[in-house]
Amino acid sequence: MIAMLWQNIDYVGSVVLFCIGLYCVITKNNLIKKFIGLNIMETSVFAFIIALGVVDGGEAPIMGAGASAPFTNPIPQALILTGIVVAVSTTALALSLIIRIYEHCGTIEADELREME
Amino acid sequence: MSELFDLVLIALLIACALAVIRTKDLLGAAIIFSTYSLVLCLMWQHRGAPDVAMTEAAVGAGVTTVLFLVAIGRTVRREK
Amino acid sequence: MKRALTIAMLVLLAMPLLYAMSQLPPHGSATSPAYTHISPRYLERGPEEAGAENVVTDVILNYRGFDTNGEVTVIFTSLAAVLAVLLAGRKGDERPVREPAAEPSPPSVVVRFVVRLLGPFVTMFAVYVIINGHVSPGGGFQGGTVFGALVILITVVLGRSVAEKLQPLGVRRILQAAAPLTFVAVGVLGLALFGDYLAFPRDEALAWVRTSWLMVIEIGIGVGGAAIISAIFWQMGGDR
Repeated sequence: MIAMLWQNIDYVGSVVLFCIGLYCVITKNNLIKKFIGLNIMETSVFAFIIALGVVDGGEAPIMGAGASAPFTNPIPQALILTGIVVAVSTTALALSLIIRIYEHCGTIEADELREME
Repeated sequence: MSELFDLVLIALLIACALAVIRTKDLLGAAIIFSTYSLVLCLMWQHRGAPDVAMTEAAVGAGVTTVLFLVAIGRTVRREK
Repeated sequence: MKRALTIAMLVLLAMPLLYAMSQLPPHGSATSPAYTHISPRYLERGPEEAGAENVVTDVILNYRGFDTNGEVTVIFTSLAAVLAVLLAGRKGDERPVREPAAEPSPPSVVVRFVVRLLGPFVTMFAVYVIINGHVSPGGGFQGGTVFGALVILITVVLGRSVAEKLQPLGVRRILQAAAPLTFVAVGVLGLALFGDYLAFPRDEALAWVRTSWLMVIEIGIGVGGAAIISAIFWQMGGDR
């Protein structure tokens, strides 16, 4: 059991980070704090998918002179590259929505906003 | 040795994530989140994914943090 | 109470996740299904077939170029959405007037000098990362973001008017749309010449065409990314 956890430390780390991010999203009241939690959840999923593509002793998949097999799996890396850029787009959109909410309501605490309706 | 390095990086990641939750000051939380992204970038470089590490360093640690800072500057700094 | 409930729920969530993890192939195994199906072919033939020594660049721009085409459209759409959200109900560029607590003191001479000194070197690094993206780690997104960060730095230290000189008003709209436009241009070129959207030439002798098309897309993504990042930053009001 311990040996299995030790070998799969990347996966365990992703699960723990995912739970920490979800905890932040659920319990925190401040919208910006909630969004940082959401970002932690996102990056934990990225770390998990990168960990799926790792090969023991693998080098970066760049075929220059002097490169030797085994190489790490390029497909998860390409997917995550796309994912990171999409994540920053959603961050920009969400933060501008938060700025507008603050200008309109004067607060970014979720419970105060709920009472305001 | 390599496993120990992995363990230290993952422990640092979890510590950063917990520190983000504990910090009441949003500005501090954003800076700690930037550190979190940098540690993640180190980890991916060590895993043989330099492209992703570079993207995370530029986008995750750089631009995302700047956007958070701007948003905090235009709203409030303290969490209630 | 709420906190205890949340933690209990998270423990309940973590258990099936950890169980599912224990059923995965062990971390780092070279015989896992994710590694034995498509990847060997990409790793083996990628450089000749797709035109770049960096296989990740091959996958994102050639083998799965359609996916990346959608992605650059997403970034462009996010800029449009940020503009729509922040400008809704306002005329032009005006923002609600808020009295600054105190006039911010201008950065010291040292800071201004260092930023002026760093500017050319950061630009050169960004261009290197973009142009060299097919043989080394890096590419359009990374280089574009580095240049966007330089624009943000100049805006903060030297003021927005200096930073805007890097992107003249006349071409700024086109620069912001550069990434999707380049992608569609290369895609339509492939459609016209080889009969498929985003088709790259397959011929052995045309390897240099493949590589140069990849480079054109990288440059388009880099320029577009930098323009979009600085525009989002300006619009969110980071220039004050």
